[in-house]
Amino acid sequence: MASLARRRTTDLVVKAVSTGFAALSIVLLAWILWTLLSRGLPALGPHVFTRITAPPGAGGGLLNAIVGSLIQIVVALVIGTPIGLMCGTFLAENGRGTQIANVVRFVNDVLLSAPSILIGLFVYQLLVVPFGGFSGWAGSIALAILVIPVVVRTTEDMLNLVPIGLREAAFALGAPQWKVVTFVTWRAARAGLVTGILLALARAAGETAPLLFTSLGNNGWSINLGAPMASLPIAIYQYAASPFEDWVALAWAGALIITVGVLTLNVLSRLILAKMK
Amino acid sequence: MNFAPDTSIDIASAVNRATAPSSAPKLKVEKLNFYYGDNHALKNINFEIPEKRVTAMIGPSGCGKSTLLRIFNRMYQLYPGQRAEGKILFDGGDLLSKDLDSTVVRSRIGMVFQKPTPFPMSIYDNIAFGVKLHESLSKSQMDERVEWCLRKAAIWEETKDRLHTSALGMSGGQQQRLCIARTIAVRPEVILLDEPTSALDPISTSKIEDLIDELKQEFTIVIVTHNMQQAARCADITSFFYLGELIEVGASNEIFTNPREARTRDYITGRFG
Repeated sequence: MASLARRRTTDLVVKAVSTGFAALSIVLLAWILWTLLSRGLPALGPHVFTRITAPPGAGGGLLNAIVGSLIQIVVALVIGTPIGLMCGTFLAENGRGTQIANVVRFVNDVLLSAPSILIGLFVYQLLVVPFGGFSGWAGSIALAILVIPVVVRTTEDMLNLVPIGLREAAFALGAPQWKVVTFVTWRAARAGLVTGILLALARAAGETAPLLFTSLGNNGWSINLGAPMASLPIAIYQYAASPFEDWVALAWAGALIITVGVLTLNVLSRLILAKMK
Repeated sequence: MNFAPDTSIDIASAVNRATAPSSAPKLKVEKLNFYYGDNHALKNINFEIPEKRVTAMIGPSGCGKSTLLRIFNRMYQLYPGQRAEGKILFDGGDLLSKDLDSTVVRSRIGMVFQKPTPFPMSIYDNIAFGVKLHESLSKSQMDERVEWCLRKAAIWEETKDRLHTSALGMSGGQQQRLCIARTIAVRPEVILLDEPTSALDPISTSKIEDLIDELKQEFTIVIVTHNMQQAARCADITSFFYLGELIEVGASNEIFTNPREARTRDYITGRFG
């Protein structure tokens, strides 16, 4: 009986400690969100979405940064998604169990956890230095390199969830492998694949470091991918560090816009995944 | 008992004599050995599958019956490390020959699996998927083909009003009959059934057994089953496998009433397995 009492006490202590830390992490998140809302909401206004960068006190907005971010993210997805999807498909379908697949998977995991500033520097050396300037292209490619490992990982995981029996059934009808993959396996996993792309998008949307050395930022209006391009994370970085009150307010507004966007994507991907199951 | 006793005895004696049978066998297995890596799973199998009959393969788990079934449509080739040696004659050619394309083999020798495997698409598209791989049909021809195979699989009445809804919404028994319809739609000559009813309830099972009886008018059927009553009910010929060897093959009524081999008798009377 004594041992039972001890077990109960241990159980209670472990429960209390784990609940406490869970609560702590939620409190931290709530605190961040609260700060963001209380500072960001008052700073939001039509000017944020309709005006571009202006000198302090002149009532500038974030239009160029928002558009620049959108362009670079879309280009990054257009480049990164097909590569990620095909690579993940190779790992789950063609290369399953082979040595080369193990190597690719390992390298992809390394890339997945690589510090994003490193990716920025890599693209700086690869594209900015040789071509003589910062550009939207360089920023997009840096973001694409962030997108690829996320899509590879989720694609492989989602395809591995598709039962072998479904593939065999398609093969048994005389289907060649590419049709089995495109018509049956991808289709069975499509919600999961879309989720992976959304998660990658969410990650790319919030990154500052890869853009610092690549697309640099731009205080003017530019949708030219060959020139430096503004983006929300860089605008936040610049405005937040400035001594001007209205610029700091814009930084809060930008932070709120990114957070709400990323949060929406995350919730959306979870909803899709839940529907899939 | 659905089979006609006189014909099955005819075939049985032909198979038992192992000399040139009056009707040529659809599949003729010669000195077949099969390996999963180093594991010698099938040992020197010699076996004939008669045309337009139901041949059952029974035996305890791990005896090699499913392995043999998966060699007939070259399913094993999807997995590196699995290899077959020997010959399987099919219409005069060797089924295992590298010159023969797997997709062609599989269009002529179809397979239905233990668990129903509807594709995540509509009932109509489940059938059209396989047909489109091998033929290009007009819309009306495809409509006809879909109706034809659903009727053959005795599931037309249940599906005709919902052809364009997802196949995943059907019951397990309906899904399995859809899988049979999907296999028939490609118009194979041989249909392989790998424990097709083991995941189904008794009513669905009896529907599929009736269906097997219908289908043998047009197709050669090979069925792997753990259920000996099912083999006795459905099959004209029954073969018994044990530890990778073919122990005995003969007319089902003989195998189940008067087996020649002691091991067969022990298995069907439930002494092991």
